[in-house]
Amino acid sequence: MVIFVDAWLLITIILGFAMAWAIGANDAANSMSTAVGAKAITPKQAVLIAGVLEFTGAYFFGKSVTETIRKGILYPDKITDPQVLIYGSVAALLAATLWLIIATKFGLPVSTTHSIIGGIAGYGIVYAGMSVVNWGKMTQVVLSWILSPIIGAIMAYLVFKALTRSIFRSSNPVRSARLWSPFWIGLAFVVIGTMFYIKVLHGKDLKTGVLMYGIPVGFVVFLVTYSLIRLRFPSSDPFIGVESIFRKVQVITSGYVALAHGANDVANAIGPVAAVYAVASMGMAGMKVPVPRWILALGGLGIAVGVATYGYRVMETVGKKITELTNTRGFTIDFSAATVVLVASWLGLPISTTHTVVGAVIGIGLARGVKAINTDIVRDIVISWFVTVPVAGVISAALFKFLMFVG
Amino acid sequence: MQVWTKLFAKSPFKPLIKHADVVLETVETLEKALRAWYDGNYDEMKRLALEVDRLEDVADRIKEEIRDSLSSKLMMAVSREDVLIYLHMQDKVADAAEDTAKWLLVKRPDGIPDGIKGIILQMGTESIKAAKLVYDAIVQMDRVIESGFAEGEIEREYSLIRQIESVENEIDGLDTKLMQLVFENADELNWAEGFYILNIARTLSNISDKAKDSAERIRLMMNK
Repeated sequence: MVIFVDAWLLITIILGFAMAWAIGANDAANSMSTAVGAKAITPKQAVLIAGVLEFTGAYFFGKSVTETIRKGILYPDKITDPQVLIYGSVAALLAATLWLIIATKFGLPVSTTHSIIGGIAGYGIVYAGMSVVNWGKMTQVVLSWILSPIIGAIMAYLVFKALTRSIFRSSNPVRSARLWSPFWIGLAFVVIGTMFYIKVLHGKDLKTGVLMYGIPVGFVVFLVTYSLIRLRFPSSDPFIGVESIFRKVQVITSGYVALAHGANDVANAIGPVAAVYAVASMGMAGMKVPVPRWILALGGLGIAVGVATYGYRVMETVGKKITELTNTRGFTIDFSAATVVLVASWLGLPISTTHTVVGAVIGIGLARGVKAINTDIVRDIVISWFVTVPVAGVISAALFKFLMFVG
Repeated sequence: MQVWTKLFAKSPFKPLIKHADVVLETVETLEKALRAWYDGNYDEMKRLALEVDRLEDVADRIKEEIRDSLSSKLMMAVSREDVLIYLHMQDKVADAAEDTAKWLLVKRPDGIPDGIKGIILQMGTESIKAAKLVYDAIVQMDRVIESGFAEGEIEREYSLIRQIESVENEIDGLDTKLMQLVFENADELNWAEGFYILNIARTLSNISDKAKDSAERIRLMMNK
């Protein structure tokens, strides 16, 4: 039994790494596309930023505790056989990875969270029937299909309105941009600082986090950015001046997105690994298992490698083809999506980074900020969201059957 | 295939401005032709009037391209209908310029009293001024969107629109004056010359008319 479990642990680790790779390949492009498209960063820089910050986000801000069954989508008491949990985790990981690779191939921005959930539900249903699925949880997940883009859209709409009000409506937009862009970056760092307190220092009190970590960090970052931006931005046209300031700002916000994404999505790859590891090290171990740091590092590394090997190509295409996105818009999308994802992941809401980013794009469109959005493409993206859970589920179910049959 | 690259569609404003650019060139050429006509430089006028004709064709082609590319599946900052109608109106400015060019080519302007020629030149200058402002207005519209509909930019746009509209009054005044002159000089002019003069005047004032229609559509774009 011990040798059996160890062998499967190794396989799970490899698959977890593969899944992390697929997340890097698919999602990094989704979260960095706006910055690359608005020409704030080159694809090479995007890879570097995404690689480092996805890893940082995953390693430091990734969940240190995970459910044996991701998001509690199955009733754990109905799966008592460790072998089922191991085979199931392997099947779910492989299915989610395959689906992500297919989606990446077709350039569809799908949710990694939904892929893994589909995979888990798939093996669960094959093993113990429909009743094993916690449909309440499933409904929550399905709601997040709708909620993530809506919250992303509302946030981007508000941020865009606030941004244009504070900058473009003033008599001197460049001067306002010099003052307000550090403010937005400072705000991002208030969120990051608070997250640091909660995730890394395991602080419990939100107020302490915001007051002692978030606000001071944000304020320091505000001062540093403010003094940096005071340096010359030569331009006679205020609009070009504002955009050139936000081009610099977007370098930071794209990193913010990568950080948020790493923190939120790494669990999708390493959750099942942690579950199998728990079984291997201490037998069946209840609903929640700790995630060792090295597993988080493994996930972060996998994502970084995915970005570097495949995400790079995607971003190169995107960088060449998106020409209609200005830096203030790109910034709004990045800032809104990252903030929503970070806050939601810390509230434990099942939110999808990808869906939030797409929602943010729509939000700016609704605020009349983007000159033209292809609603045909939006429809394709939404359809891809609806098929993610069932497709990952079916693939996982088949793999699970096969494993049970062979094993 | 990357969905991201297609999510953001091409802005209709760049091609609209390109079209406006050609229309601007058309009316500027017409202005030069009108001056050559006034100076009695018939050969130069003929060359320029033919150039107006050619430029109008270019504008037409760009118009078709924009129409084909504006799918109804786009979510835009301004309504698709406004963009299409605006484009139609902007194109009509070039059409009107071409009409004038055609009338200029009909005959040599010998025997037209200088006073009448002077007023026609003045009408042309005014009318073409409105057409030139249309270019500024559509460029400004792009900035209005870029600024997230900032009040300052909207105000600048309104002031351009008002300028275009005010040209209309001046043209009306000149038109009346021209009529009076034509009838005062009725004895020196034959019917063909009278017909020629009045048609040039009519097509010229038509340019500012269409410019005004374009400006009105920009006003609607801002309101959506």
